[in-house]
Amino acid sequence: MEHKNDKKLLSWREAWKTNTKLLQLLRRQRPRLLALRITKDIWGALTPYVGIYLSALIIEELSGSRDPDTLLRLVLATLLSAALISLAGAILDRTLAVENADWYYYCRKLLGDKMLDMDFCIMDETRTQQELSTILQNQNGGGWGMGRGLDLIDSLFSSLFTLLGGLALTVTLFTSRVPESAENMTFLNSPLFLLPILAAMLAVTWLAPMLSNKSESYYALNADAHNLGNRLFGHFGFLGYFNDRGVDMRIYRQDIVCEKYNSDKTSTFSSKGPFAKLGRGPMGMYAAASAAVSGILTGAIYVFVCLKAWAGAFGIGMMTQYIGSITRFATGLSSLISNAGMIRINSTFVKQIFDFLEKPNVMYQGSLTTEKRNDRQYEVEFRDVSFRYPGAAQSAEHSEQQYALRHVNIKFKVGQRLAVVGPNGSGKTTFIKLLCRLYDPTEGAILLNGFDIRKYNYREYLSIFSVVFQDFALADLPLGENVAASSAYDRALVSSCLEKAGFSERLKELPRGLDTYLHRTLDEDGITLSGGEQQKVALARALYKDSPFIVLDEPTAALDPIAEAEIYSKFNDIIEDKTAIYISHRLSSCKFCDEILVFDKGNIVQKGSHASLVADSDGKYHALWYAQAQYYDRQEQEEIL
Amino acid sequence: MEKTPTVVPKEKPPRPKYNMWQSAWYMLRLSIREKEKKVPILCTATALLAVASNLISLAITPVILGAVENRSPLGTLFGLIGIFVLSGMVVNAAAEYVSVNSLYGRITVRTAIITKLNTKMATTSYPNAEFDEKFLKMQAKAQQAVSSNSEATEAIWNTLTSLLQNVLGFLVYLALLSSVNPLLILVVTGASLLGYFINKPLGEYGYRHREEEGKLSKTLMYYFTCAESAGMAKDIRLFGIRPWLEELYAKTLKAYQAFHRRAHNVYIWGSVADLVLAFLRNAFVYAYLIRLMLAGNLSVSLFLLYFTAAGSFSGWVTGILNTLLTMHRQGLDLSTVRECLEYPEPFRFEEGESLEPDPDRAYELSLEDVSFRYPEADKDILSHISLTLHPGEKLAVVGLNGAGKTTLVKLLCGLLDPTHGRVLLDGRDIRDYNRRDYYRMFSAVFQDFSLLAVTIAANVAQTEDSIDMPRVRDCIGKAGLTEKIESLPKQYEEKMCRDVYENAVMLSGGETQRLMLARALYKNAPFVMLDEPTAALDPLAEANLYSKYHEMTRGRSSVYISHRLASTRFCDRILLIEDGRIAEEGTHEGLLAKGGRYAELFEVQSRYYRESETPSQ
Repeated sequence: MEHKNDKKLLSWREAWKTNTKLLQLLRRQRPRLLALRITKDIWGALTPYVGIYLSALIIEELSGSRDPDTLLRLVLATLLSAALISLAGAILDRTLAVENADWYYYCRKLLGDKMLDMDFCIMDETRTQQELSTILQNQNGGGWGMGRGLDLIDSLFSSLFTLLGGLALTVTLFTSRVPESAENMTFLNSPLFLLPILAAMLAVTWLAPMLSNKSESYYALNADAHNLGNRLFGHFGFLGYFNDRGVDMRIYRQDIVCEKYNSDKTSTFSSKGPFAKLGRGPMGMYAAASAAVSGILTGAIYVFVCLKAWAGAFGIGMMTQYIGSITRFATGLSSLISNAGMIRINSTFVKQIFDFLEKPNVMYQGSLTTEKRNDRQYEVEFRDVSFRYPGAAQSAEHSEQQYALRHVNIKFKVGQRLAVVGPNGSGKTTFIKLLCRLYDPTEGAILLNGFDIRKYNYREYLSIFSVVFQDFALADLPLGENVAASSAYDRALVSSCLEKAGFSERLKELPRGLDTYLHRTLDEDGITLSGGEQQKVALARALYKDSPFIVLDEPTAALDPIAEAEIYSKFNDIIEDKTAIYISHRLSSCKFCDEILVFDKGNIVQKGSHASLVADSDGKYHALWYAQAQYYDRQEQEEIL
Repeated sequence: MEKTPTVVPKEKPPRPKYNMWQSAWYMLRLSIREKEKKVPILCTATALLAVASNLISLAITPVILGAVENRSPLGTLFGLIGIFVLSGMVVNAAAEYVSVNSLYGRITVRTAIITKLNTKMATTSYPNAEFDEKFLKMQAKAQQAVSSNSEATEAIWNTLTSLLQNVLGFLVYLALLSSVNPLLILVVTGASLLGYFINKPLGEYGYRHREEEGKLSKTLMYYFTCAESAGMAKDIRLFGIRPWLEELYAKTLKAYQAFHRRAHNVYIWGSVADLVLAFLRNAFVYAYLIRLMLAGNLSVSLFLLYFTAAGSFSGWVTGILNTLLTMHRQGLDLSTVRECLEYPEPFRFEEGESLEPDPDRAYELSLEDVSFRYPEADKDILSHISLTLHPGEKLAVVGLNGAGKTTLVKLLCGLLDPTHGRVLLDGRDIRDYNRRDYYRMFSAVFQDFSLLAVTIAANVAQTEDSIDMPRVRDCIGKAGLTEKIESLPKQYEEKMCRDVYENAVMLSGGETQRLMLARALYKNAPFVMLDEPTAALDPLAEANLYSKYHEMTRGRSSVYISHRLASTRFCDRILLIEDGRIAEEGTHEGLLAKGGRYAELFEVQSRYYRESETPSQ
């Protein structure tokens, strides 16, 4: 890895804006948390001064008149105030801890909800996924992001109040005068003497946090390298644990490649890696220098306070108070500065989050209703539709080839059975995605009952489709809820949909029936379904939704011949009066469809009934059909027999 | 439907095999073996520097106060300040430098454990990884224990540092305070012990109930898995799944917050006990020290020194106790890690006979009266199967879902051992061989596969070091993937796995399947095992694969599993597995002529194709 800095710092102005935005967001959404955290900062910053003040009085008394009554009163005051402060602190801590318990989840949910709010076409972009994963990696690996942001604002407040409290108890250090009897020490009374001391103090308080920020910034500036390191580590370090990789691991001895990566001592975080080198070099040196520099300040404070005390400006008790509070003042000042620096570094990451949260949606949202008509009279038309995946266009010179669909024209009515066939990558699934308005066409329009589908209310439009995608997903939640996609559902209806999908045998075997969890992620007694069984559940879900259009993308790929034939034979019962769109590599399914669309390279190259298409011996369909049917060909069969 | 109540017996966790001292010793030895002895050295340095820094800040105020009190000459005063400040600077700078540099060695040692564990997981006898519940539980715990800097395998160094630091501090302060009344030490120690024993059960609330919390966290995290998953996005939108998930989240979050409220309502009593004890302890110390002073036996600066020291001393005592508690917990995790690494292997590896596959030799593989039953199953999935895969033979295995086709292949490959009977390679029980050598006999494409975050070429060759590029190209070509790969900007050097490399190439399901085929060809082993290798291919690609099958498996014995009965016709022999047995076997034609179960299945599948022959009817 090269150590070039791969991140730029934000300007102070942008950093300020970003953090104000964060505070505003929290004031709106988590006002109680914000109030509690700031109260705690102030409480924690100011209360230590009570102890410093009171114990100074005790020492003053001890070094002075040593009056037992006064001492008793002072000691009691010290002890009681300490106890009360701790008690209030504990109550505050408890309240805050409860309020703060879900903080991680709160931050994460902002992102999760954004993913759900996003138009599918934006969410589906690789860039979006990468942005999210970078944000999460920065948060989980380096600790950068909103969580750190609030912590830093917290400590900013806390250091500000520490500083102010320290200042309040130190004012008299500067105003108290060395008595004239001290002769040559009276120069300490001159305001001119203060200047160099204050200047030295300020210089050191600036220097220490600057050095420490410089050291810290190496991680932030190399966040991308850091993240890549974590990803490699996360990949090769844990491949052996994956159950579904187990066979390949052994047959292909993948442990050897894993071990090569894992035992590489020059990798990102290892002892001979780039960060270790930085640690031995500048990163460690800056940190050490920063720690050392603060010592100079301690020295300066002691010299000044001691000189004045020595010259008789105040007693020993006050000395402890001054030393205690001015040291805290200095800590407050340097942490204020260091926090400001860290806030600026972290702002880059907070801004990344806000940019993500503010990503605009692009799909037009109409308001037309789809009228859940009882007669289910719907007609869909693709009118000269072309489509290019976002991001595909810029990258290539052959822009024509970048189209996933090109000039597609097709019209179909409710009640029809439509088969969609074609080689891998010919645009079948894209066709479905456009139909369900997961994407909008790049050119042309899709019409429902004569109106552009963009003009319909999106949610309502989606409600007229039930789809079993090839890569469908079920949740690791109870079976029944999965079918209904809801926690409250009609149990009888769910059971009957499962039955139609051919799942009833398996359902009978499940001791907890519809309440059985899928997978064991969230329930120890969950079950793992085979690919074929999952496909049946997904089909049941589509049936439960009972939409006028039902789209099935390779719904029998994981089924054996008997199960497949069972679905085929029930197909008409299952579909009833709905429109069915059926995508399959197994062309046998085309048999029971009214019309077949043959896709090739993004175009519909043929359409018609099975009989007419198979007769066209130059057509694509003919080729596809015979590629498969040759094995089942009766004549050939007879020849063999 | 009746609900059967699940009775979970409250089982006591098994005693760890190694205690915390053995675990700590193990880590020390490991750090040295890994040439990272700087780890314990830096730990010791950290502890020493921390105690030194503590002593400096303890002494500075009282000493300087004393100098002022006694009106020492200014030179002495400045000298004292100078000494303290300089030593403070040196100690702090050194501590900071050490702290920045401690991380990497520790990560390296943890990585060494990660490597060992991963290798164990990737190579352990397959049944361990597949269904040994005890091993799998241990594996999950071990994985947790290496998953971050704050877990036992790395945090143990902090614990050891802290233990050393607290013990040192304790001893130094003991010596310091020994000049005053031992009663003072007794009272302070007593208060600390009392505080610890009150706090321990309260503070452990979260630890005791960590499984309850873990379950809630898991559900909350599951919400994000769904919300952020590109794979679920379509279904979530089309089926209106979001409200359902939101409801689950809201319900769980409420329970999660309630859990934390309960926990903190317990913890707060620990804080209350602490502040009462601090009150009593300080009252005693004040009373004692002030009495000494009033009697004229103590200077102000010594008063200050003792008072501060008494407070810190109690901190050391509590520190030792808390550190031991942490060490005990981390010791449990470390013991699990070791037990996992030492988990017994039912298969023979290095101790078995070695085996060198000869690609030009024909081997014979056979099952001799083999039965197999999965643990906790009530019947055998395969029962009393005898079968010989002759040299060069192409065997097809068909059957319904769940019939045991994949299990049969796993038995042949030596991934599973039969519960009864033997698997023989040229007449020799395969259990005699080093199993890792035995796996070299097989090129396989299973339905689940494991892509590595390396280049396409390395994924074919399964190594990064000595890739035979012409052979890679040849195999990619045979698998029908050349056009696709050569259209990529970096061709064979393109990296794979998006979750590691952001610009990695993404292959479709069908393309990945072909890549896996290329990998199997590259391996060029005597036996080729293919489990549904065409499920994701379109008809043309499928037909293309069939036509090349003979060429691809020339001179090899092969086993081909498929749902698509038609595809089995190019095999020499077909086995139909049903009810755990070989129900039928023979050639495609022979089985059809027999008119049995195979013919029936074939009939079912070909019905739609055949009717099409006469569309006019």
